[in-house]
Amino acid sequence: MPSPVGRWLQVKACGLVQKSSSLAKVLLFSAVDQAATRRSQPEAVHCTNTQKIEKMGRSTATKDAQALFRTLHSAYAATPTNLKIIDLYIVFAVVTAVIQVVYMAIVGSFPFNSFLSGLLSCVGTAVLAVCLRIQVNKENKEFKDLPPERAFADFVLCNVVLHLVIMNFLG
Amino acid sequence: MVAKMDKSATDLLTSPGVSSLFKSLKLKTKQQELLIRVTILFLVYVLAFITRLFSVLRYESMIHEFDPYFNYRVTQFLTEKGFYEFWNWFDSESWYPLGRIIGGTLYPGLMVTAALIYWTIRFLRFSVHIREVCVLTAPFFASNTTLVAYFFGKELWDTGAGLVAAVLIAICPGYISRSVAGSYDNEGVAIFALLLTFYLFVKAVNTGSLAWALASAFGYFYMVSAWGGYVFIINLIPLYVMVLLITGRYSMRLYVAYNCTYILGMLLAMQIRFVGFQHVQSGEHMAAMGVFFLMQVFYFLDWVKHSLNDPKLFHTFLRITVTCAVGLGAIALGVGTASGYISPWTGRFYSLLDPTYAKDHIPIIASVSEHQPTAWSSFMFDFHILLLLFPAGLYFCFKRLSDATIFIVMYGLTSMYFAGVMVRLILVATPAVCLISAIAVSATIKNLTQLVRAKGKASHSASGKGTTSSKASSKGSLDQSLPFQRNGAIALLLGAFYLLSRYAIHCTWVTSEAYSSPSIVLAARGAHGNRVIFDDYREAYFWLRQNTPPDAKVMSWWDYGYQITAMGNRTVIVDNNTWNNTHIATVGRAMSSYEDEAYEIMRSLDVDYVLVVFGGVTGYSSDDINKFLWMVRIGGGVFPVIKEPDYLVNGEYRVDKGAAPKMLNCLMYKLSYYRFGELTTEYGKPPGYDRARGVEIGNKDIKLEYLEEAFTTSNWIVRIYKVKPPNNRSLKCVGIALLISSIAVTMSYEAAKLIPTTSSELWLCFHLGKARSVASPGFEKLI
Repeated sequence: MPSPVGRWLQVKACGLVQKSSSLAKVLLFSAVDQAATRRSQPEAVHCTNTQKIEKMGRSTATKDAQALFRTLHSAYAATPTNLKIIDLYIVFAVVTAVIQVVYMAIVGSFPFNSFLSGLLSCVGTAVLAVCLRIQVNKENKEFKDLPPERAFADFVLCNVVLHLVIMNFLG
Repeated sequence: MVAKMDKSATDLLTSPGVSSLFKSLKLKTKQQELLIRVTILFLVYVLAFITRLFSVLRYESMIHEFDPYFNYRVTQFLTEKGFYEFWNWFDSESWYPLGRIIGGTLYPGLMVTAALIYWTIRFLRFSVHIREVCVLTAPFFASNTTLVAYFFGKELWDTGAGLVAAVLIAICPGYISRSVAGSYDNEGVAIFALLLTFYLFVKAVNTGSLAWALASAFGYFYMVSAWGGYVFIINLIPLYVMVLLITGRYSMRLYVAYNCTYILGMLLAMQIRFVGFQHVQSGEHMAAMGVFFLMQVFYFLDWVKHSLNDPKLFHTFLRITVTCAVGLGAIALGVGTASGYISPWTGRFYSLLDPTYAKDHIPIIASVSEHQPTAWSSFMFDFHILLLLFPAGLYFCFKRLSDATIFIVMYGLTSMYFAGVMVRLILVATPAVCLISAIAVSATIKNLTQLVRAKGKASHSASGKGTTSSKASSKGSLDQSLPFQRNGAIALLLGAFYLLSRYAIHCTWVTSEAYSSPSIVLAARGAHGNRVIFDDYREAYFWLRQNTPPDAKVMSWWDYGYQITAMGNRTVIVDNNTWNNTHIATVGRAMSSYEDEAYEIMRSLDVDYVLVVFGGVTGYSSDDINKFLWMVRIGGGVFPVIKEPDYLVNGEYRVDKGAAPKMLNCLMYKLSYYRFGELTTEYGKPPGYDRARGVEIGNKDIKLEYLEEAFTTSNWIVRIYKVKPPNNRSLKCVGIALLISSIAVTMSYEAAKLIPTTSSELWLCFHLGKARSVASPGFEKLI
């Protein structure tokens, strides 16, 4: 079982995730920075052509990211509360899964079945919660005949089966 | 539309007598239809069961072939010792001296199912023997498959198609070949599990309900526990999801169905020890995981697009996310494959994608006759008219595309490709072919009957009425003046029924002639047409059981390993599991070497008995001499000292006078043809005429040095030889003893000439006698 290599793989993946999240943060901060220091604009005119284009590209990108972020935030604020609760549960499950992966990257994956069962219980319950959100969301025309109680009962049943199997697999 | 269909169905099927019966029971049309459907399904259920009972009625209730004997032995163990012992069983009676971990290297679904049925029947106080349960498990599950096929057909098209599908799959020879009574093998249960999983998944995609997806995950779990062919499911379903995503037919129901099925199914499948962690580590299962991640990204993007309502912003977001996701995925896959963490496709499944792979690299897989590519005659033999109805069904499916019909089209096409690569996989294609053909049959017959029924309704079926079936009735109204329209439809209907009846006759004939032979009992026609039964295999195994010491080890080719362990109850060197290629190659090397080299190998493996199968007297063609070249190839694959050209003459495989000298003196030849040179097998042919090869053998005067014949069955099919223990005194010592004694005799004779006669003669006789008693044991051995 090539666990050192697997660990290296996990570390690489985590590194990439961190890098992309840091890139997003940089974009955001640069956007805020740009907004705060508008008076630096006239100086950009005196730079060379390539630098100008680069600065313009970066500014459109940051402006886009900023606008994107704002639109998403305003659209999300309009969702009903029950869906927001489900979303919170999904985020919690995903964060727990990431913590488990990081822990496995640090200490190694020896009881592999335990690692898999822990990870899959988080991922599984997140996925089932997404399915519940889809079925309960009033905007989905396909599920308008489905009573939300039935959707929740299915969700609970699937989670019970999931966790029973997890407990058997945990070792 | 539904009422019209009900009326046409009932009106066609009810004669005046039956309709008066229905009227007397005061049934409404819907209830009449339900009664007819239930009756048909019940008859189909019984039909599927009884058409598989030919061999039980002709011979007796016994287990057929080779692999089922292992399953039978394992089921016996499970019912006697219980689940804990079964799960942790280490078997020392096979693969001597290595042993085999049975608990962790089998698919337990079949055995556990049979054991559960056995315990249920026992609980109801019917005392059946486990062998009866094992023999009849496959027909019972074939009947259940017809029910699942009915529901699947109903989901795909309508109830008419479901009924036709049930009938077609009940008697289709492609399925019967692996599910007759007595064929106690994984496929008997696995096809039921396969069709059940597919039906539940399609139902989940159609309804979008988590409960159906959970049921589909359980169906997948049952399939994983039953057969290694579950890899087909775990690759077909992601492929189907990809096709739906690409063609833009995706919906929220697809997300719910696939994700729940995949996560729960994967978790449940990892509970089987033999499968273990393959779902996250093996290359064959990576497609499902890739599609899982792709779906998350896809639906996330869909949700963002829906909430943004602004295409420009969305495009930038799309670009960033897609590049990130694709980059991550490619890096992960590449690193995993390159570092070996994700194992590549195993040879068994890789040879399906590249059919020439096995012949060059893995001779064991290439040697199995079921793994050869399929000829057209096999397709026609196993499918008959379904082969022609399959394209017609595809046409109907494309005419009315929905999620379900796309699935069945993909299942049909992929399974037909694999059925073309390997004969054994016709079994997997059979349910798809039956369902698609059922759609063709049902749609055609419905159109034709509506044409027939369109007599008085021409005036009512106005052009504005409907789009679905009014095409047919409007045609009827247009050509109302032509009376041949209706007659043509009746003629076509009669033709369709004729075809279906020929199909039924063909299927029954094929089942009776080709697929009901137990393989362990052979039958032939005698000279006067009377039936002759050869029960040699069981005769030999019972001889082994009763006449050899309990710890005797038997060496034979791996085909017979399971049967020897199950019926002979003796330890074998190699058996059908073929998990250790080097061990099998050692046996192959022993069989193809000269007798003295083979004796060394057999002594190193502690072999006590050697078993060979010989068909020269009866003309039985699946004997060891015909399989011998595979022994050479497999042995030569591991030990380069065995070279295949040594056994061939000009590339030709011969056993007569012109055969290669190594062939004429190898162990397999000697053991097969020992004492055969004296036997006259056929009138008018010289003694030693091999009826299976059709030649007179080359080496008739065979002497065995290290083995002796222990048992030959009554028709010379199975021959058992005992390996002699090493001599007490070796020949070298005997030679030296003779030399010394002859020198002593000569010297004493010379010395005695100098002594007076009477006493010298006395003295000479005395010493000669002493020398002879020393030399005599060796003398007898020499002679």
